[in-house]
Amino acid sequence: MKAPNLHLNLLHASERQSSSPVRLRVMLPIFALLACLGCLVWWGVLACQLILVKSQSASIQKDLAAKNAEHGDILQQMGSARNVQAELDQLTMYAHGRRTYGGLFKNLANVVPEELQLLSMEIPEPAVQNLLPPGAKPGPKVKPLLGPTGTVENVTLRIVGRAPNDKPVEALMKSLEGGDFTNELVIAKGVPPDQASPRIRSFHQDTSPGSGGMRLLAFDIEYRCAERRFEK
Amino acid sequence: MKADAFQDPSALLKRAVFLSLAIGAVAVVLYMFCVEPSQTSLQKAKAELVALQDKRAQMVRDLKGASQVKDRLDAVKAERQVYLDGLLEPLLESYAMRAKALLDPLADDVGLSVGDYAELPVRRLPLPKPQSPQLYARKPIRLTCTGSYPTIISFLLRVEQKLPLVSLEAFSLNTQKDPDKQSATIVLEWPVKGENTAAAAKGGVKK
Repeated sequence: MKAPNLHLNLLHASERQSSSPVRLRVMLPIFALLACLGCLVWWGVLACQLILVKSQSASIQKDLAAKNAEHGDILQQMGSARNVQAELDQLTMYAHGRRTYGGLFKNLANVVPEELQLLSMEIPEPAVQNLLPPGAKPGPKVKPLLGPTGTVENVTLRIVGRAPNDKPVEALMKSLEGGDFTNELVIAKGVPPDQASPRIRSFHQDTSPGSGGMRLLAFDIEYRCAERRFEK
Repeated sequence: MKADAFQDPSALLKRAVFLSLAIGAVAVVLYMFCVEPSQTSLQKAKAELVALQDKRAQMVRDLKGASQVKDRLDAVKAERQVYLDGLLEPLLESYAMRAKALLDPLADDVGLSVGDYAELPVRRLPLPKPQSPQLYARKPIRLTCTGSYPTIISFLLRVEQKLPLVSLEAFSLNTQKDPDKQSATIVLEWPVKGENTAAAAKGGVKK
């Protein structure tokens, strides 16, 4: 005998058409609960990580605090080294701009022809430093620059003298082109006159008579010297 | 479960939806007020940790290189000292008097008679990038002397040899009838400490 079956129709009409075997009314709370649990777990993980990171930070800070005094000394030394280096750099630049002329004058005495008479020798004082900003005109409101804009200073040597003719002058100029003077004097020929060295400023008949009533030629020659270069 | 629920499945669904919404709201609140701030805090803490680690690494590097830093400082100081020894220090606030004290013995050695020492205005040190403060400046001292040409040149050579930072800034020699009494004006330049620049520059030519 076949037992009678009790059949409860618990499905709604809309649910009957669904392909999912699990009902929406079951799934929805489960998903919501899972999301909630997920957030809780996520928060827990983050909290653990935060505690871990903060403990690491605290440990490092403790370590830094212990080394701070020693490190401060080193930083001070590093700062001092930088300052001293800055001073040294400036002094080195000054030293590189140093020029000596004792040797030039010593050698000059040996090459002056006997018939030539030197009246004066001059290395003129350098021009006044221009501390005006580019394009500015001098005035009370103009703030001067901290230093000159160029690092190069030009130096010249001016030789004034007399000679009975041009030969001794030429001989002197030829001698000054020699090896004894290459460190101090610049020889530049075949360039525009204002850049030439030597530059003959004047060469004319001297008005004052020389010894024995002889008429002399007066000359004034300017040589460019090695420039002072204030650089490292 | 009540009997009417079996009869009306939508009531169950409504309750489930309501329950789900409530739990979802809790999840959203959890995310907004717990997860998100924790995440932000963690990011900040991590950034702080990285910064601290970098700082510690730098500190360790610095500490390891302490001896090198000290050696470098000593070396740079020693190198600077050579120059500092050549600086012109004022003698009783006068650079000219210090120059006289330094140069007179050299002039006496060669028999040169130096008549006068005068301070000229300080010149600034040309630097590739002018900076404040100027640590060092250039102090020209003008001296007028009388002697033979070889004497003057011997003096100049001795100055250049004995005072390695002194530079000849200007020179003027006018020949006289007596070859032993040539008149020369020599401007010698020393490096000086920069803090005196402003005060010295105001003074102009001072004897």
